Amino acid sequence: MDSFTALLDGFASALTPQNLLFALIGCLLGTILGILPGIGSTAGMAILIPLTLTMDPASAIIMLAAIFYGGAYGGTITSVLLNIPGEGESAITCIDGYQMTLRGRAGAALATAGIGSFIGGTIATLALVVAAKPLSELGLRIGPPEFFSLVLIGLALLVGLVGRSVLKGVISACLGLLIAMVGIDPVMGLPRFTFDQPHFFDGISYVPVLVGIFGLGELLATSGGAAPKPTAPTLRQLLPTRTDLRRAAPAIGRGASIGTVIGLIPGVSSAISSLLAYSTEKKISRHRTELGSGAIEGVAAPETANNSHSNAAFIPLFTLGIPASPAIAVLMGAFLQNGLTPGPQLFTEAPDLVWTVIASLFVGNLLLLVLNVPMVGLWTRILAIPYSVLRAVIFAFIVIGSYAVNNSVIDIYVMVFFGIVGFVFRQVHLPLAPLVLTLILGPFIESALRESLQISQGDFGIFVDRPLSLVFLLVALAILAASVLSAGLKRKAGLPTDAEV
Amino acid sequence: MNRAPRALTLAGIGLACLSLAACSQSGTTTAAGDYPAKPIELVIGYEAGGPTDIGARMLAKELEDKLDATITVVNKPAANSQVAYTALTQAKPDGYTMAATTFPSAIMTVLDESRGASYERDSFAPVALQVIDPTAVAVAPDSDIKTPKDLVEAAKAKPGKLRATTTGVASNEHFALVSLKEVSGAELAPVHFADGSTAATTAFLGGNTDVLLTNVSDLQPLAESGKVRIVGVMDAERAESLPDVPTFKESGYDVEISSSRGYAFPAGTPDEVVDEMSTAIGEIMEDPAFQKKMTDAGLAPSYLDADEYSAYWDDTEKTFGDLFPLVKADS
Repeated sequence: MDSFTALLDGFASALTPQNLLFALIGCLLGTILGILPGIGSTAGMAILIPLTLTMDPASAIIMLAAIFYGGAYGGTITSVLLNIPGEGESAITCIDGYQMTLRGRAGAALATAGIGSFIGGTIATLALVVAAKPLSELGLRIGPPEFFSLVLIGLALLVGLVGRSVLKGVISACLGLLIAMVGIDPVMGLPRFTFDQPHFFDGISYVPVLVGIFGLGELLATSGGAAPKPTAPTLRQLLPTRTDLRRAAPAIGRGASIGTVIGLIPGVSSAISSLLAYSTEKKISRHRTELGSGAIEGVAAPETANNSHSNAAFIPLFTLGIPASPAIAVLMGAFLQNGLTPGPQLFTEAPDLVWTVIASLFVGNLLLLVLNVPMVGLWTRILAIPYSVLRAVIFAFIVIGSYAVNNSVIDIYVMVFFGIVGFVFRQVHLPLAPLVLTLILGPFIESALRESLQISQGDFGIFVDRPLSLVFLLVALAILAASVLSAGLKRKAGLPTDAEV
Repeated sequence: MNRAPRALTLAGIGLACLSLAACSQSGTTTAAGDYPAKPIELVIGYEAGGPTDIGARMLAKELEDKLDATITVVNKPAANSQVAYTALTQAKPDGYTMAATTFPSAIMTVLDESRGASYERDSFAPVALQVIDPTAVAVAPDSDIKTPKDLVEAAKAKPGKLRATTTGVASNEHFALVSLKEVSGAELAPVHFADGSTAATTAFLGGNTDVLLTNVSDLQPLAESGKVRIVGVMDAERAESLPDVPTFKESGYDVEISSSRGYAFPAGTPDEVVDEMSTAIGEIMEDPAFQKKMTDAGLAPSYLDADEYSAYWDDTEKTFGDLFPLVKADS
């Protein structure tokens, strides 16, 4: 059967009232879980799986999938409105999203994130329908050496994030890397900087760190009184203006491509997609100098990227039977418990189900848009709460969120510690973006480097012998060279270089 | 569809459970006779949704009916379960705190002194074993290696050149490689994927390593879709799901390495409480419907009662203890 006729049949069954209802419940649940920091959609799905066993397999999987991508959107709401990243993937959105909120433009930020997520998710799902097989081969071609070089591109883009003072940017980036070094060494198996606390053997969880730096840091910084406080947008400010949309469009396009490609690589977190998308905007957007001070691109690009990443992660699941992320692994568990083994054979064994699920991805993304854009007004009402009351609520919220990550009190201390760090950063004007980037990329760089060297048995040539890896390395070099050159030229002309983040 | 409203209610209950999940229980001890008289906390040292968690949650649901008790599942995903084991062994031994215990983690965290574990073998009162998942070896479908013997010979021809995946230093795959070298002299080069079997499998399918080592349950879907050829299983007997695949043992290499998942109370828990729980788990696991549920989820049901599990624990500790110095020297 031709894919498109199969897809049409899929739509017919995805659009039955029952399946539509479950997609809607899933989107709502996912959004709520995403709003609660610490309790991710992954845990929510895992807890709901036993309950779905009594349901029709298609409805169960549709609901769980909807929770999964609904969660990606929920995290945005707290990032933008309260400067609390619910998940790693929306951490970078805090930077410009919260600046927009301070200027009363929260509505535009949320609506743009919703539109971007919809477009990103739809593009990734289209890729799944049209070219799942070749794309999954591409995903497999990105082994540890290629991934290492790809991440180096991310680090090279860091130069763009560093801002006016290179020294301050490097301090911030190094601190992020240092935090990322905590934990058991992946090759020698020995604990590093763990203070003999088993809690830190897997490294410091980055949600409490980010929640502390952004959320608590902001609370402390605004306690002085003079600092700007968020204001609720007026009705007219709820929707993005025509200028917003024109500026967001290219960012959404770039975000969707980045998310779709990175999402193909099994085991890579969607936080990486949003970080790369943000860094790319910082480097090539026409309004790059405004990024960091509330530019719409800074919300549109990462939010589009993380949603297209989430949807692209279905490609390795359906074509190879590999769960590309912890959330997808849970979803794979749902398939298995319904007696279905994900993988290419699923298209022949249960084509109806597969195409129904794929069609529901389109439907779900649309539902998310329809659900969330009208709700922007509701969410932004939160800001109408007097700030003195709101900050108490935020504090309770970030303490519970930090605890919920591992059900551990230690994470609350970690959050408080990094709250103070975040406060100091704001006082001495250190940029936060480089820290977020290296904190999240750090463990990936390390394991990719060391796995590559084990594969090559110690030969660094592996990074240049492999064509794809070589291409990535050259791109990283070109970015570095261009940054150095343009900074030099600007300095000569007496112009300020990139703005502070 | 009359199923929908019921499922909806269930989803609603699920939402309520989510909000309750963070709250843990505490209270006073009661006599063993009316056990269980209050909610039981089940600590899981891995993330919600992982294989240990899925198996434990399935069992917890049945146990609630069987024991007429509430079971609160608490995930403490850190340090390969070391945080969960520390919490368990420091809990009151009254039968109201139980943990999922997995091998090699419960053994390896004790053996490795650099981890500074605060517990040892005798800090646990084993209750029952639920799952044994043997380690198996796979290669690319077009590889010349077809049997365990081929693998050993290929490795001997190029010592230390054949690259094999593990899921980290001192993982069961790492123990398997060291054990194989001990009995056959075949030296494979380990590539450690500390992020787990997904990363290892992806790297193998992308042609970055020659050999894939992982649990039988993970390999099965890959073998079914023709992506890998399974060379051999490292168990005493052939896997029920793979009747045509030989064991290493029958090929003359005495290598038996598995990962396994069971449950334990803290040491000092009254025997009658341990027995009651152990028997309840045994009865649940005899139910063919429950066995089918587990098999569908890729978990091989292998029940051992409290005494058998204790003996298995001691045996496994001995095997891993003998290999541990070699594993450390290899990393």
